[in-house]
Amino acid sequence: MGMGSTDMRYGGAVAPQGCALRILLIIPCFNEEASIGGLLNEIAATGRGYHTLVVDDGSSDATSAVASCRSPVARLAQNLGIGGAVQTGIKYAARQNFDFCIQIDGDGQHDPRAIETLLNAYRKDPTNITIGSRFIDHAGFCSTRMRRAGIRLIVLALNGLFSGGGRITDPTSGMRLMDRSAIAFFAKAYPTDFPEPISLAWAMRAGLTVSEVPVEMRARETGVSSIDGLKSASYMVRVLGYILLARLVRSP
Amino acid sequence: MTNALPSAETVVVISAFALIYMLVLLKKTLQGKFDLYDFLMLSMVAIIPAGFTLFPRIGYLVSHLTGVVFPFVVMFGALFLVVFAFMHNMTARLHRLERQNCALIQEQSLLALELKAKESSGPGA
Repeated sequence: MGMGSTDMRYGGAVAPQGCALRILLIIPCFNEEASIGGLLNEIAATGRGYHTLVVDDGSSDATSAVASCRSPVARLAQNLGIGGAVQTGIKYAARQNFDFCIQIDGDGQHDPRAIETLLNAYRKDPTNITIGSRFIDHAGFCSTRMRRAGIRLIVLALNGLFSGGGRITDPTSGMRLMDRSAIAFFAKAYPTDFPEPISLAWAMRAGLTVSEVPVEMRARETGVSSIDGLKSASYMVRVLGYILLARLVRSP
Repeated sequence: MTNALPSAETVVVISAFALIYMLVLLKKTLQGKFDLYDFLMLSMVAIIPAGFTLFPRIGYLVSHLTGVVFPFVVMFGALFLVVFAFMHNMTARLHRLERQNCALIQEQSLLALELKAKESSGPGA
């Protein structure tokens, strides 16, 4: 595929010793020309040589041009939203037979050094989805008070209605590791609305396991969040509705 | 049951509206802008009022049977029913098209990526 392939080797409980694991970093972007170059440089600086795929979600700026110097770019002809962009990366991971894919945001909020934390957590306790949580150690940027209150309600709903492993503290985190089972599951169906928490509900409903590991997140380098003020309340109500719906509907 | 019948003016206006509207719909259907389902559902906006105007006794009978005092309430009820059935179908169709659109856009981007990778790996690859 014309990508650098410095595959990592792990000897964890699931991956046999000496087996070269292929790891894909999915980076969904929308108008992130100011931050994507720096993020890709940071990833390269980890020295791990992860495979990367930047999914340009119909940006009107030079995101694709900046990213394509350092990474393969899947350019969506129209803006599909974060769910559509992430699923594009997951489909790519499924077709290219990756062992893991890790979603990280293109706005610079996620520190690429935390990828290793997710992989270490998987080695110790393999679950289908491993989330990088801001709310275990409460270190770094932890979002606004209003949003944290909303997240707490979503957490209550998810933990109360589903049992998919450990207690979830950060269902809206956009930093998460998915193994082959999760990749296969989400390649078929992935929520377009509020994908982070709803995808967890769908996954747990389907019997996939979820765990968390503390990671430190940074305030976004550029742009503003699309969920602020009154939108937070609307977001919370709609997410709770979708979670309830996910509980009521049987897994496909 | 009352015997109040629509006036001749009402019959003429409603019939003219129904005729013109049906002709417009028919023209658009023949042009391929609507399918047969759309034509049938949209034409109800003309057919139902025309039916109540041209055959008022049927309207009175239906309102009597349903326990509704005024026939025009039954007429609007029937129109709402048609509109909601149409909306229901449209929403389902839109949702399906949205998913197909999303899948096609994803597919196109992945195929373009694959093509680019093949080109960059050279003809012998």
